[in-house]
Amino acid sequence: MTAKRLRIFALLAISMMFLLAWAFPIIWSVLNSLKTDSDVLAYPPKLVFAPTLEAYRDVLFGSGSILPNLLSSVIISVGTTIVTMLMAVPAAYALARLRFRGKKFAGFYVLATQMLPPVGIIIPYFLVLRNIGWIDTYQGIILIYLSFSLPFAIWLLVSYFEDIPFEMEEAAYLDGASRLKTLWRIIIPQVRGGIAVTVVFVFLNAWNEFLFAVVLSGNTVRPVTVAMFNFVSVEQTLWAKLAAVSVLAMLPVVVLGVVAQKHIVKGLTVGAVKGGGRR
Amino acid sequence: MATTAVTSAGIASEAPRSDFGRVLAQRERRFAAALLAPAFLALLATTTFPLLFLVYTSAFRMDLAMPFTNGFVGFENYQVLLSDERFWTSLLVSLVYTGSTVALQVIIGLALALLVMDMKRGQGCFRVIAILPVVLSPAVVGMIWRTFMLAPEFGIVDFLAINAGLGSKNWLGDPTLAMVSVIAIHTWQWTPFAFMVLLASLASLPEDIYEAARLDRASAWQRFRRITLPLLRPAIVMVIIMRTMVALTAFAAIFTVTAGGPGTATEILNLYAYRKSFTELSIGYGSALAVALLIVTIIISGILFAMRRAK
Repeated sequence: MTAKRLRIFALLAISMMFLLAWAFPIIWSVLNSLKTDSDVLAYPPKLVFAPTLEAYRDVLFGSGSILPNLLSSVIISVGTTIVTMLMAVPAAYALARLRFRGKKFAGFYVLATQMLPPVGIIIPYFLVLRNIGWIDTYQGIILIYLSFSLPFAIWLLVSYFEDIPFEMEEAAYLDGASRLKTLWRIIIPQVRGGIAVTVVFVFLNAWNEFLFAVVLSGNTVRPVTVAMFNFVSVEQTLWAKLAAVSVLAMLPVVVLGVVAQKHIVKGLTVGAVKGGGRR
Repeated sequence: MATTAVTSAGIASEAPRSDFGRVLAQRERRFAAALLAPAFLALLATTTFPLLFLVYTSAFRMDLAMPFTNGFVGFENYQVLLSDERFWTSLLVSLVYTGSTVALQVIIGLALALLVMDMKRGQGCFRVIAILPVVLSPAVVGMIWRTFMLAPEFGIVDFLAINAGLGSKNWLGDPTLAMVSVIAIHTWQWTPFAFMVLLASLASLPEDIYEAARLDRASAWQRFRRITLPLLRPAIVMVIIMRTMVALTAFAAIFTVTAGGPGTATEILNLYAYRKSFTELSIGYGSALAVALLIVTIIISGILFAMRRAK
């Protein structure tokens, strides 16, 4: 009996250790963002200290404020989400509900586009955007974000469209409603939940993107993920400020992630059930 | 007489219906085309067109720093690539990085899922905490680890190493330790993904099989080996496929931590293609490297999908 107890205790300890390991870097960043630089650099590391909001004040309202970068991130993410949804909802409906030749191929094509390594997309894209003067513009960055947000959104939405019963549409057609009207009035309201989940994930992925952003950003368009580098230079690291910026960059996605908690496994594995694909 | 009447009536009513049906089917096709057009045009423009242009670019010498040397070179970039030691090294680093991170994610994720599955209380706690790393930007994760976790002395990992008697280490300056660090960071961020998927899959397994196995006095190990593992196989293979594709093209998580360094110790093929194109500005050769990465990705996913089909 004692051996069994010991085993249970050991397993509990191991699982607690993993919980701590996952949460700690995030908690530690939050704590560091409330310290002064000298407290961050203290050895041994300080768990108890006089908290201050100084780092946040400097980062938000001081010189070299990251407010424009936060705004940049918001514009990119919201813009990507809107354009993606406008295109993905109709496409997903067609793939899930309508009969037409080449449907299988169309679905496969959407999945296959996700196989392309992003670096293979950004090299030619950079050349084209440079030629038409779209580097450091919102339209340039939002357009290329469609390369990963569209396939993802289409596949996630297809899974929701497939869940609604066909009778609803048939009843509407019998009443003489047009196809477009039926889609807008009958079908879309049925998948509101699925659309909301898709919006969350598209926003999240756009907010977190880094490779395209680092190549295409400049003085006008520079999201937080890229702007963070300003706080780490060869000469010096602005420790507390870096922590504050990290926390600000994490905040929206952590909130969204916890809100969409129940759907996260579905959102992360979308497309994989049918073929390959990745986030 | 009566039968002809019936058949002719049948034909009469059949003919307009099939006509009507054809019109409906045609309308449905047109409607589908209209709905699909915007998304597919966008996908063509943002994925297929860049791919073709990438392959085209890889046949040129295109050096933004020395534009006067630019021109068509055919397969020369690929010939250079085959004898480029840095390419082979980066390919090896890619395979080590991908292989070790995916293996660690699956093993730790599965072990933890089995552990948590047996817990009567506190499962919810795991489910919430596991979300945190997964939703974060790899760029932010890399930045946090590089500074607050791995910095010498006051970085928590180094602090723990000192207290464990290992002494202060140069976690990102030593080639081997840097590789270990970037692998650990990737594993830290994505093990919760494997954990969540496998836990969900475990929860959906039928209880009665285990009941029967228990009646047959199967040991815990036998139950795991003979029942759980085979039933979980599809989920495990799916996790392996998805995580392999991402690890092969990981960028931010290495770029923000070591930028491929020290030297080229943590430079995976993806990062080499980026550095060649945007740091050294040799876009033609960088394109050839990106095409090579695409070919590697296709080969590896081909192998994995064959694995998935094989029983």
